[in-house]
Amino acid sequence: MRFPSVVRQAGLVVAVTALALTAGCAKKDDSEVQASGVKLVSAGKLTVCTHLPYPPFQSKDASGKVTGFDVEIMDLVAKELGVEQTIIDTPFEGIKSGQDLNTGKCDAAAAGMTITEERRKVIDFSDPYFDATQAMLVKTGKTYKSLDDLKGKKLGVQAATTGRDYAKKYEAEKGLKLVEFEDLAALQQAVANGQVEAAINDLPVWTEYLKKNPGGFEVAAEFDTGEQYGFPVKKDANPELLKKINEVLAKAKQDGTYDTIYEKWIGKRPSA
Amino acid sequence: MKLRRRQRERLSLGLQYLVFIAIIAAVLIAADWDRLADAFFRVDIIKSMFPTIITVALRNTILYTLGAFAFGLVFGTILALMRLSRVAPYRWVATAYIELFRGLPALLVLFLVGYGIPIAFPEREIPGGVFGSIAIGLGLTAAAYMAETIRAGIQAVPKGQMEAARTLGMSHFTAMRTIVVPQAFRIVIPPLTNELILLTKDSSLAYVLGVTAQTIEITKFGRDMLNDRVNATPLLVAGLAYLVITLPLSQVVRRLELRYAKAR
Repeated sequence: MRFPSVVRQAGLVVAVTALALTAGCAKKDDSEVQASGVKLVSAGKLTVCTHLPYPPFQSKDASGKVTGFDVEIMDLVAKELGVEQTIIDTPFEGIKSGQDLNTGKCDAAAAGMTITEERRKVIDFSDPYFDATQAMLVKTGKTYKSLDDLKGKKLGVQAATTGRDYAKKYEAEKGLKLVEFEDLAALQQAVANGQVEAAINDLPVWTEYLKKNPGGFEVAAEFDTGEQYGFPVKKDANPELLKKINEVLAKAKQDGTYDTIYEKWIGKRPSA
Repeated sequence: MKLRRRQRERLSLGLQYLVFIAIIAAVLIAADWDRLADAFFRVDIIKSMFPTIITVALRNTILYTLGAFAFGLVFGTILALMRLSRVAPYRWVATAYIELFRGLPALLVLFLVGYGIPIAFPEREIPGGVFGSIAIGLGLTAAAYMAETIRAGIQAVPKGQMEAARTLGMSHFTAMRTIVVPQAFRIVIPPLTNELILLTKDSSLAYVLGVTAQTIEITKFGRDMLNDRVNATPLLVAGLAYLVITLPLSQVVRRLELRYAKAR
């Protein structure tokens, strides 16, 4: 009988195919590119994920280039590594859930991102680089001064942010009606055209907005939540990069570079 | 090695099965199952999604879809009749509309409705809030597609039907209304049901309008849960929730198509 030998042959073909496939699917950890001893997802570039627009931390300028506070700090890191920074615009939830880092989309993220315990479970954070306060924006002429004044009113928040989490905490207690928007631009639109009475986001974000749109809006309340921003890096995967970022941060704070960037984007540093 | 033709065929078929199985096996072996299960199948998270995913998210998805479908169907029928009209300007307007709205992404149209209308008409709200905005936003796009489908349906009704009706003394309008359009709708039920399935998924675009805990639909609910729990399980459950709607609808389309094929 010839058939069994044919089957055996077929088995061999299959085995080889399977092997080839498995090899093809193998993780590419070993082939990652190195720069000054730091692993990078693509050669010659520090790939950074963010969610645009989020001025003054990251947004496009008139020429279409992404710039901002976070961007300039990350530029320092890239310079230290001897590479260029490339910025990828991606939904915030991909950054926050750690998936963008896990799937190798980027080396780190710089997205005005608050360090929280929940987020720490899925990503490693750099040292804090910014103290953030939450604030409430309203149209000029509205009399809301605190969350209490918003009982039964619509309050806009941005999806996946700590501002949203903060408002959520008081939603039931203060009888707020939370409306969630995908990004900052939509949230600003909603306040501007009266879809919501007020909106919560990080204070520097509103300060920047007021600078660009003078007269129509004001910050009605500030909520000191003790939040601090950090740069996320893939969990337990790239301690070298994390160390590098922290070194650059420490150096920049010492030699005054940090203050220069702070004053350029945020304004006068509060005397702590 | 010389094989007879039948043996060769059997061998070739067997090989194809084996390669197919091998590919699946390779993928199954290469995947990191523990991490996958932890990322996409956490039972505690699945439990925490009920009953809200049904009572709020699924319900809203169905409501938005039906709203957009109803708006699109009425408007689409009008457009189809306009395109077939003997009055030239009607045809021009309908053609221009269809070309325009078939060419625009639904997301863009929805954004224009949600943010443009409140700016154009300050202090006025679209009736029904998110529901009204999405019914109009998605309905405007759906109407363009449906108009073409319905027009094709009307044209598929044999000419003799109209001629016979006119011979009996019916006016053109009455013949259209009572003889041609009802038959046309029977023809276009399967493609319209497909449109309904497409709309079900497009209703996920509601997020651009800004949603509250009461107006949230399936996709946004899944994404929010993903954010709160920092785990992808909610996305899987959200996907299954869509299948609860779309799979029965697909069955309906298949049945109708079969029945229609038999009737011919």
